[in-house]
Amino acid sequence: MYAALAAEERNKPTATLVNQGFVNDARSAASSRGVPGARIVATSVPCEGSVMEEIEAGINAAMDEIVAALSRPLSAEEKSPVSKAAEKTSRAIFKGDIQEVNRFFYRRGWGDGLPIMPPTEEAVSEMLTGTDLPADHVVVKLIPRLGKATVEKIAVNAVMAGALPTYMPLLIAGLELLADPTSIFGTTGVSTGSWAPFWIINGPVRHDLHINSGTGALSPGDIANAAIGRAMALIIKNIGGARKGVEDMGVQGNPGKYALVLAENEEESPWEPLHVERGFKKEDSTIAVSFPNSYLQTWPFSSDDEGILRSIIHAIYRPPCIVMTPPHAKTLARRGWTKQDIKEFISEYARIPAYQSGAYWGTSSPASAEGGRPGLYKNRVPMRDSDSIAIAPNPNSISIVVAGGPGAFIGLHMPGAFATERKTTRKLTLPSGWDKLVAKYKDVAPVYARY
Amino acid sequence: MSNNTKNLYEVMSPWAEADPIPLKGIAPRVKDLSGKKIGLFRNSKRAARPSLGVVETNLKARFPGCEIRPYAFMPNAGITETPEWTAKFEEWLRGVDAVVLAYGD
Repeated sequence: MYAALAAEERNKPTATLVNQGFVNDARSAASSRGVPGARIVATSVPCEGSVMEEIEAGINAAMDEIVAALSRPLSAEEKSPVSKAAEKTSRAIFKGDIQEVNRFFYRRGWGDGLPIMPPTEEAVSEMLTGTDLPADHVVVKLIPRLGKATVEKIAVNAVMAGALPTYMPLLIAGLELLADPTSIFGTTGVSTGSWAPFWIINGPVRHDLHINSGTGALSPGDIANAAIGRAMALIIKNIGGARKGVEDMGVQGNPGKYALVLAENEEESPWEPLHVERGFKKEDSTIAVSFPNSYLQTWPFSSDDEGILRSIIHAIYRPPCIVMTPPHAKTLARRGWTKQDIKEFISEYARIPAYQSGAYWGTSSPASAEGGRPGLYKNRVPMRDSDSIAIAPNPNSISIVVAGGPGAFIGLHMPGAFATERKTTRKLTLPSGWDKLVAKYKDVAPVYARY
Repeated sequence: MSNNTKNLYEVMSPWAEADPIPLKGIAPRVKDLSGKKIGLFRNSKRAARPSLGVVETNLKARFPGCEIRPYAFMPNAGITETPEWTAKFEEWLRGVDAVVLAYGD
């Protein structure tokens, strides 16, 4: 949509064709960039369709409207849209009991379907003890709406999520990552692919906050893992304005959008941790993000290095973030494998027959979008049916972290075409008095009853 | 004896403010597409190219002398994100009278 708006700004009339299910999304994009009158033509062409009969039927039916969009004289509103007054939100928005508050928030679209903690002034004040930044400091303006992520608004959403004040440095750093163009949140955050932010935490903060890196790290049960992810998700919605079905066009949705957070088990890992790989010091506390839309677990064919690595190369279908259990990591390291060795092995040997690739079908790569199959090696040699192609041609698009319990299953998170060498990691800024703050909430940890 | 007391919570809004964006009108339209240069712009999503193929066929059939100028933009990013992309896009725009865009979604 942004290309249409850029053309309109340069005095060229446009007609933008979108599938009828994306009209609200297109209108929202146009309005958010100040061009509410951009002419959008809804068609019945299926989203990412390739069946010519359907495409021809959809476009032929829309041709009159396309021509009209380019030629019908402008209305007064289209020539000079009336600006809205500066948006102000009330500080205290509602008063009620816990159920009434929850229903109010839910009806406004501010929740995630689960009960929220009421963000009272008192609760938000306590949350603000997690940072030295002033409450009105704008950390970032978050797309798509360019909402101002003030420290206070971050705190409100954090309270709703059930976060502790000690999570604030992570939330602030996480927001900075989302606003960094290298994180490609701009593309993934609202995509039809339902890419969920996958947060990986390194450094001493993992222990300060009891962020799980062991058994069931991605299962429910740990406040830190759950609330950090949930707070970020609420922030993306309520500050960034990514609303499901309007801006967030994820087709299937993704349970990872509730929360997908783990800490790396640096102590049990034989390798350097993720943040050190990315240039930070071991004693730095960091947060990293990627955007997988698929998660699967594979069971190694055998517990030696061959069995572990072969189970990975035969399971993945996109460059993965591999969550390797400590026992497997130690097995591999004992046999001389470094993280880089593993990445290079997977890059070379995780291959599929050409005909199993979307690119082969002429549907999903820039070269194939020109109307033919892509070729091999920079398109110099035509692709044949008998070729195999690498799933992760760039070893640096693969990442490896060590986490999970003592069992055999290996976690594979696949960010797809967006897995690149981008090293989206941020160091945390901790408030003064951090140790005292950590001590205050140190006992907030589950103690399972014996039976 | 019943207890009618219930805890009430006065709560803050999680919805962020955003600076008002200056609104702009759209460009004047072309009265007649006959003899005009129509740009066809698409992204990498697979319905875009064939959709514009049908648009092209229709426009040429309906409007004598109508000339088609295609433009394909493949990165998953904004067209004006880099100076190079902006310059290339603007150069193409200078050569057309109107644009039909298809995003394949």
